[in-house]
Amino acid sequence: MMGINRRDFLTALGVAGGGSALAFGPQVGLKVFQTLWGEDWVEVPTGLETRINSICQQCPGGCGITVRLVGDRAVKIDGNPFYPINRGGLCPKGQSGLQSLYDPDRIRGPLKRVGERGAGKWESISWDDAIKTVITKLQEIREKKETHTIAIMAGETRGLMQALLERFLLAFGSPNYIRVSDDLAAGPLDAFYLMQGLKEGLVYDLEQANYILSFGCDLLQSFWSPVQVLRAFGYIRRERGSRARVIQIEPRQSITATKADEWIPINPGTEGALALGIAHLMIREGLHDENFIWNNAFGFEDWIDDSRISHQGFKGLVLKEYSPGIVSSITGVPVDVIIRLAREFATTKPAVAIGLRGDVPSQMAVHALNALVGSIDSPGGVLVARDIPVPELPPIEPDEISQKGAQMPHIAQPAKEKYLLADYLPHTFLERASTGEPYKLEALFLYQTNPIFSSFNPEGVAGALDKIPFIVSFSSFMDESSQQADLILPDHTYLERWQDDPVYNLKGYPIIGLRRPVVSPLYDTRHTGDVIIQLARGLGGSLAQAFPGKDFPETLQYYFQKLFEQGRGDLVGQEFEEAWSKLLARGGWRSPSYQTAEEFWQRLQEKGGWWEPIYYYGEGERVFKTPSQRFEFYSQILKERVGVLAEERLKAIGVQVRGDKLFLPHWEAVKPPESNEEQYPFILNIYQPLVFAGLINASQPFLQGITSPAPLERWDCWIEINPELAKKLGISYGDQVWVESPRGKLSFRAKLVEGAMPEVVNIPLGVGHKALGRWAKNIGKNPLLIVEGHLEPLTGRPLINTTRVKIYRA
Amino acid sequence: MVRWGMVIDLDKCTACQACVVACQVENNVPPADPTIDAQYRAIHWLRLLEYREGEYPHVRTRLIPRPCMHCDKPPCVKVCPVGATNIGSEGIVDQIYGRCIGCRYCTTACPYTVKYMNWYRPRWPEEMKKAFNPDVTIRPKGVVEKCTFCSHRLIKARERVRAEARELGPGDYIPACVETCPSNAMYFGDLENPNGTVFQLARSHRAFKLLEDLGTEPKVIYLSEGE
Ligand code: SF4
Repeated sequence: MMGINRRDFLTALGVAGGGSALAFGPQVGLKVFQTLWGEDWVEVPTGLETRINSICQQCPGGCGITVRLVGDRAVKIDGNPFYPINRGGLCPKGQSGLQSLYDPDRIRGPLKRVGERGAGKWESISWDDAIKTVITKLQEIREKKETHTIAIMAGETRGLMQALLERFLLAFGSPNYIRVSDDLAAGPLDAFYLMQGLKEGLVYDLEQANYILSFGCDLLQSFWSPVQVLRAFGYIRRERGSRARVIQIEPRQSITATKADEWIPINPGTEGALALGIAHLMIREGLHDENFIWNNAFGFEDWIDDSRISHQGFKGLVLKEYSPGIVSSITGVPVDVIIRLAREFATTKPAVAIGLRGDVPSQMAVHALNALVGSIDSPGGVLVARDIPVPELPPIEPDEISQKGAQMPHIAQPAKEKYLLADYLPHTFLERASTGEPYKLEALFLYQTNPIFSSFNPEGVAGALDKIPFIVSFSSFMDESSQQADLILPDHTYLERWQDDPVYNLKGYPIIGLRRPVVSPLYDTRHTGDVIIQLARGLGGSLAQAFPGKDFPETLQYYFQKLFEQGRGDLVGQEFEEAWSKLLARGGWRSPSYQTAEEFWQRLQEKGGWWEPIYYYGEGERVFKTPSQRFEFYSQILKERVGVLAEERLKAIGVQVRGDKLFLPHWEAVKPPESNEEQYPFILNIYQPLVFAGLINASQPFLQGITSPAPLERWDCWIEINPELAKKLGISYGDQVWVESPRGKLSFRAKLVEGAMPEVVNIPLGVGHKALGRWAKNIGKNPLLIVEGHLEPLTGRPLINTTRVKIYRA
Repeated sequence: MVRWGMVIDLDKCTACQACVVACQVENNVPPADPTIDAQYRAIHWLRLLEYREGEYPHVRTRLIPRPCMHCDKPPCVKVCPVGATNIGSEGIVDQIYGRCIGCRYCTTACPYTVKYMNWYRPRWPEEMKKAFNPDVTIRPKGVVEKCTFCSHRLIKARERVRAEARELGPGDYIPACVETCPSNAMYFGDLENPNGTVFQLARSHRAFKLLEDLGTEPKVIYLSEGE
């Protein structure tokens, strides 16, 4: 930038005019001159300084952000102090968001594949041509009356965008919406379903808990909404009257374990057994909450059903099978520790037990502890988030072809007898896509997901994608899966687009954030919502009518108009306002901070979101949707699903336990049949560090720069092993080491840490991309490539940490 | 007289490193790359230190965010031959890049290793230059840089309160790291103001300073973990 003078610089610095340049003269003045002397002519942003509130999307956490702009440039992201998810705080990913916006390797406009698939040869095309191409393809499919052969695979998508994608499919005539979610970040959702009858809304009221017993859930690193947990952590440690105790049970000394009051190393995969041992002691010592169990639980005591058959209850099973001695030998946790944990957990109320979405019986074992201490639907325990209002869109009137198509079986729905608890599974989808059974897919749309990287089996995924003749990616970045696409219709980044963000907080309140563009799109990208609407309009007929607005922003306004009409909640506000609206709501009052829909829309943009800060306890039908309308230790849902299955079927799906025990929390070793402990003596334990949880941020150099405190370990991937073990194997710090599973081997740098159990090999997940730009491509390795990917027998979901490995120097 | 200081409560800190990234964004620190990092030449004004003690299973790991300590008796200032490193009247230890000759006496003298030499000309892809903070200059190759407690924010805060015809109050001036901290583990303010939070926290029974024995008198105070 030539012709700049000192005064321009000072103006840009915001210090010209007043006397302050003098007041702090030496520093500021010289800093400015220094730039002038230096060889770097740096274009300093100029213009008015403003702030815009929006919502982060570096992960699904849903934090409110305030972006600082100088002129038309975004120069800093901070937390929105008003926003109830994060109250001004942000995690490192939220902080590095501008590196996503200004990523030099972004896709800058629509691309059409020219070379072979995956060869990376692209040609720019215009949006008109791109959209025409898709419309022509979809028309062909429709003419053949095969509308069901299109599918949309979407990552952590919610709210209006998900509604529009599903609506598009429905109106076009396909059942195939496939949501890919991150299991490592979710809580024990299957237990929540089996014991409380609910598929979503599981929250832990951490801020009011006094005792947090985490069974392997790396709360401070890979929870689905990180800042909420981090904020709650600070709060329960020092901000409120009493200091909560946090106990972390897991095979690796994670950050959570480091920051907890106590880390309890445990044999991998035996967390469920420990939970049952704790339950055993609580029941034996009469420390369980009889009141809760009497009033709200089913299947605790032995019971007799309508046909006079008697059944075992939780109590009987646990007392019989999980004495501390047995549990100690399974878990490796000393008996006295188990006794202490049981007593502390039972007496330090409110207490809450948090698990992972691992094998179903273990999930149930951990979740049962919450019922034992009466921490279900009570302060400091497990809450069921209140419904986020879903503003209605006008009804769809699909024609006959579409109706027929939409009624076809879901492409990703596994055979019922195969996995009893699965609606649809991404990997089933891939198998189906490659075999062409029950039908062949003609077109696939990828939205905010990168299945090639996040799968255990990238070649498998690539192979499956290869069988689909037409693939469209909406990604803003050239990721592994987009490389296999035929057409890329790049979306804006989250800092350039309108979007709603429905989410709930740990107190169970519904919140809807408003994501709005903080800068105009830098490149020739387009909101995927707009593209979907344009496709629908181009296809015409009932499809066009399915979308109320001419583009996404208009639809969004329509949506918020409907929300306004529902007459619920208020704009997000500070904590004292929260207390105030609660008080009002108790008296049946509501005094929103806006009168008209226009005012609502206007102020929504200023504040950043809407919420309804109230939780009602004791709404039995809302928190227990089980057949008994109680908390079910004995899962009747599971019993009904298993119901008619014949013995050989159970065997085929790998369920060993029989009888009542199958429907109760219990523990069975998740042992892959082919596991060979002699040949592969160690267990592979993969964990997700905060910066890469969700697997989308590896392209941001500030995040690559903090993966480890040790510079030599960054920009790479490592294994963490116990120093004693390393000595035995002749491995020193920094050596390259082969990690070999029955599936294959990869080499990693060795890191010796005392916080590693001698029989466990820990590897972080998140690097090892083969695409995604200069800071991600060919950096580190992806441990998923050696994971065996055993499937949970009931849900069919891959279990990430059951692989056995051997290690040796490379 | 004001004495700016910071308190970091390790009992609340979750080692998430949001502070580390916030600092880099705010202060136009160039992103590292594998080569620079491997040469230990990456710049982090604020970074996370890791200490491990004990043997499995009795392992204690400490994770400590480390900005510049802004010592009241800063060894770096003493050794600087050209007066580039100085300490201001309000206790902020600053680096005047224009005077720095890159001798690196200060990087050696600082026991906390907070001073970073620009071994390379800082580089950003053109696109990323758009995110520059106009309040903070870019440092050329050959000079040393360090955490300034975001002193540019103090200048702006002074401007603002003057325009609003009032005194500088608590919260007017907060460094970027403190602002982002998701678990509210970091506090910033006047160590001399008896009514302020940092004054009180600095006198907590949990308070300690890094390498206190060296007599550097740091103005970054840590609060230890545990009850
Ligand atoms: S937790 Fe998620 S939503 Fe919140 S700042 Fe971090 S990346 Fe953004």
